[in-house]
Amino acid sequence: MSAAGGFRQAQPTTGIRRPKRGWNGARRWVLPVAGLVVVIVFIAPYLVMLLDALRPAGEVLATPPTFFPKTWTGQAFVQVITDPAFQNWLKTSLIVAISSTIIVILVAIPAAYFTARFSFRGRLAFLSLIVITQMFAPTSLVVGIYREFYDLGLINSYGALILTDSAFNIAFALWILQGFFGAIPREIEEAASIDGAGRFGTMIRIMLPLTLPGVVTAVTFTFIAAWNEYVVALTLIQDDSLKPLTVGINSYVTAYQQNWSQMFAASLIAIVPVVILFALIEKHLIGGMTAGAVK
Amino acid sequence: MASVTPGPVAVTRRSRRRRRAPGTASLLEALLWLAPALVLILGVVVYPAITLVATSFNKYSIIGLRLGPAGFTNYVNFLTSPDLLQVVWNTVVWVALVVILTILISLALAQFLSKEFWGRRVVRWAVIVPWASALVISSQLFRLMFDYYHGIINQALITVGIIHRPIDWLGDSHYTMPSMIAVGVFVSIPFTAYLFVAGLNAIPTDVYEAARIDGSSAWQTYRQITLPLLRPAILIGVVLNMIYVFNSFPINWILNGSNPGFGNDTLITYMYKLAFKSAQHDVGESAAAGIFNVFIILIAVGIYLRFVNWREAEKK
Amino acid sequence: MKKKYLRWGAVAAAATVTSLMLASCGASAPSSSGKGSVKSIKVVIAEYSKDQTPKFWNAFKAKYEKQTGIKLNLQIIDWNDLDQQSSTMIQSGDVPDILNENAYASYAADGLLYNSDQVLPAATKADIIPAFVKSGTYKGKFYGMPDLSSARALFYNTDLFSKAGITAAPTTWDDFVADAKKVTALGGGDVGYAQPLGPEEAQAEFAIWLFNNGGDFKADGKWTLNSAANVKTLEFMKSLSVTDKVTQNNPGHTNRTDGAFSLFEQGKAGMVVGFSPLQGALDTQYKSVKYAIAPMPSGDGAAAQTYGVTDYLMSFKKTGNEAAVKAFYKLYYSPSEINTWIKAEGFLPVTQSGLKEFASNTSLKVYLDTLPNIHLTPTDDPEWDKIALTIKQNIGLAVAPNGDPKKFLDDLQAQAEAGK
Repeated sequence: MSAAGGFRQAQPTTGIRRPKRGWNGARRWVLPVAGLVVVIVFIAPYLVMLLDALRPAGEVLATPPTFFPKTWTGQAFVQVITDPAFQNWLKTSLIVAISSTIIVILVAIPAAYFTARFSFRGRLAFLSLIVITQMFAPTSLVVGIYREFYDLGLINSYGALILTDSAFNIAFALWILQGFFGAIPREIEEAASIDGAGRFGTMIRIMLPLTLPGVVTAVTFTFIAAWNEYVVALTLIQDDSLKPLTVGINSYVTAYQQNWSQMFAASLIAIVPVVILFALIEKHLIGGMTAGAVK
Repeated sequence: MASVTPGPVAVTRRSRRRRRAPGTASLLEALLWLAPALVLILGVVVYPAITLVATSFNKYSIIGLRLGPAGFTNYVNFLTSPDLLQVVWNTVVWVALVVILTILISLALAQFLSKEFWGRRVVRWAVIVPWASALVISSQLFRLMFDYYHGIINQALITVGIIHRPIDWLGDSHYTMPSMIAVGVFVSIPFTAYLFVAGLNAIPTDVYEAARIDGSSAWQTYRQITLPLLRPAILIGVVLNMIYVFNSFPINWILNGSNPGFGNDTLITYMYKLAFKSAQHDVGESAAAGIFNVFIILIAVGIYLRFVNWREAEKK
Repeated sequence: MKKKYLRWGAVAAAATVTSLMLASCGASAPSSSGKGSVKSIKVVIAEYSKDQTPKFWNAFKAKYEKQTGIKLNLQIIDWNDLDQQSSTMIQSGDVPDILNENAYASYAADGLLYNSDQVLPAATKADIIPAFVKSGTYKGKFYGMPDLSSARALFYNTDLFSKAGITAAPTTWDDFVADAKKVTALGGGDVGYAQPLGPEEAQAEFAIWLFNNGGDFKADGKWTLNSAANVKTLEFMKSLSVTDKVTQNNPGHTNRTDGAFSLFEQGKAGMVVGFSPLQGALDTQYKSVKYAIAPMPSGDGAAAQTYGVTDYLMSFKKTGNEAAVKAFYKLYYSPSEINTWIKAEGFLPVTQSGLKEFASNTSLKVYLDTLPNIHLTPTDDPEWDKIALTIKQNIGLAVAPNGDPKKFLDDLQAQAEAGK
């Protein structure tokens, strides 16, 4: 850790300060107002979703539409939260997203460190393999995954989802972490080697703390990707009780029965864990940036 | 197993000529470090990809029963289908516009998000929401919002007085693709913006100090310092967005869901329709389309990397 | 110290292996076993509604398992994904024992299915309404066992009708157009007729109109897709939006569920072709809409034809599953099971005993009376599965202002005759 102190110090980038008196005064309120506009733009569709979730189901497609519900009701939220099926989906999503995130981080860190630091025969082949595998759309791979997991007896299990979500997201975590590892000056690592730390020890004790923002980025990305995965879960999970949220939520609206307000209530609840996770780790993503370029 | 492998460790002494010249390691050692990643990727991505290739060379009945080898028939059928040209054109427009707009807007947004101001944390939480919401659901939501009769977008535009009669955003072929692109950009921005925020924060402040002393204008500083230093982040942002947007399914599938024919399809939805919705109903031909799609992505990414001179960027 | 770095790789590898092992613990075993009779069957059911479908089938599963001692692995799949899922299963060799789909002939043509002689008790077959036995019969054998049925009829908004000064439902196409014009003339965004010709279910909309104009898809074993009556029908359907302007905006780009039905549910459409689930929605979620149901108006002066749909429960030939499948059908077709479900989902019966049981339900009378003479699509021809897809996907283009109904039907006929 001490090495980090001697390294580039964390400093929030505050843009370019021009020697202009008026701007420094104005930015105190211009920026928050601009911030408010940004918030509105990004939240607006989900406000519509919230207002739709607070309508009776029959009012969601009202023609002509109204901005606010004619009848306000929180019933959809109550129905969704007390729906045992929904509770099961939530459980699946949490188990799958958390497990896949842990696996991705555990698997990607050594691979990223190693490929960033060492040249070896097959390095380019390995990196190319990672890039090319990303280019296959899950939609087109799902039949092969099904066949394989069927042969392995893994259909209809959390494990099937955890494995696929992990495999699909290794590439991104690896790229991000590789950039961070690569950006750490070699001298820091060499100093550690002289101290007698092995390669593994160097990576854990010296390098990893310096790449924390990269890890946080990878965690955010993997968690969200696993949380929102749809196609594979749709095909691999057969029991209603083992479905994740994305798949389960869609059953509120079918060809013969549409309950839009319940679907939207469930969707809003599904966003909450992601935003909480992000709120918890956000300061490490940005404020705590000490080193490394995203490379 | 761990105790058996000796693995040459004498790599601590590295060439000092180039500061970041990587050390060397044996293949065996490399395998140990990379094994878990390799196992997962080979098992869960490469094996199904091989299955996909095999499927594309076989003949299947409408219900998915394998009837025997097909040679290149699936590829011939796919490449000669009358809708292909339109679909490829749609794909090019869709990918190019979504990626370019996403990158430009995200650059500006990232610049903004890395300034310090009151309420910044709340803004950052808000920006993540479209990313945190499942794409399938966001697409359903936008489908409702864009609807000709019950859509809130027409209602809002009419209330404000921008338009006087509703627009058929998803049914009128002039507006379908632009509407889908708007949604595509909207949901791609959060991820891209955060990638750039991370990139911006990695730029050491002393560089800016130097620029300030030189008396550069804000725009000059941005052009000459920020953008070049952000280049690696932009590179990764462009490549990843290209791949995701090429393979993005739900937006096109759901927003274009009421339209007949293949006039607004991209390769990925066309591929799905070939397998399950068109008269072909042929998983073999669809697999051929899937392989074709990967080649197109490879070419597109290749052209881009060539254009920005990837090697040079990596060495810097 | 030298080995330290190895440990990390080992930890990660172990994590992967552990997760693989954990994963396999939760997995269900493949259902087909080698010899003897099976210990479990895989049953894939279409999701008609979130509330009713799982409720009924889970109860059914419990009863079946108790009765037979055979495990029933139940999988409920949304209609939108069913085709893709069943194809994936068949491609992967994970063939279900029972599959619920809206088509069966292609499966029968591939030789995968049991016929009724093998798995259906004779008394059960005798109880099924003959029209459905006929539509489930491919090359002389009964493969497609109907699970439930629905029939279409003309729904009209009585409030809009009385506002427009119309006293009775139209019985001819001329009346229909005149009434639709009157409702459209009310203004305020009201449309005379909500016409869904988008890809969701356009073949149904086309079928009901052409059946009521003396047309059909097949006659005497030959495709008649571009018959004069069919061309005239499609031209009429196009004229509703293009020349008469009595439909909603852009019918060729409107789906049934969130388009045409939704307009009617919001009280904005004078008429729509509906079925009992729409009635269910109107009676629970959209109570302010006053409506009535009438037989379809006739284009050729003949008596009204009722277009019907049935879905199927087909069973796959697998070693040792014959008895288990037979037990499944026996239980499903017992009146307490099948009729309970059909009632809960708001559909129509497929058996004679069901007809009797439902007879007391006055709100279904308009359909029940027509059920024995119901007019179905040629689901007994595997070629129809592809024809229906082409109609769904492309009919919306044929009814656009620049569309060519005749060319569309000629192409369709050519496709059917080429058999590809």
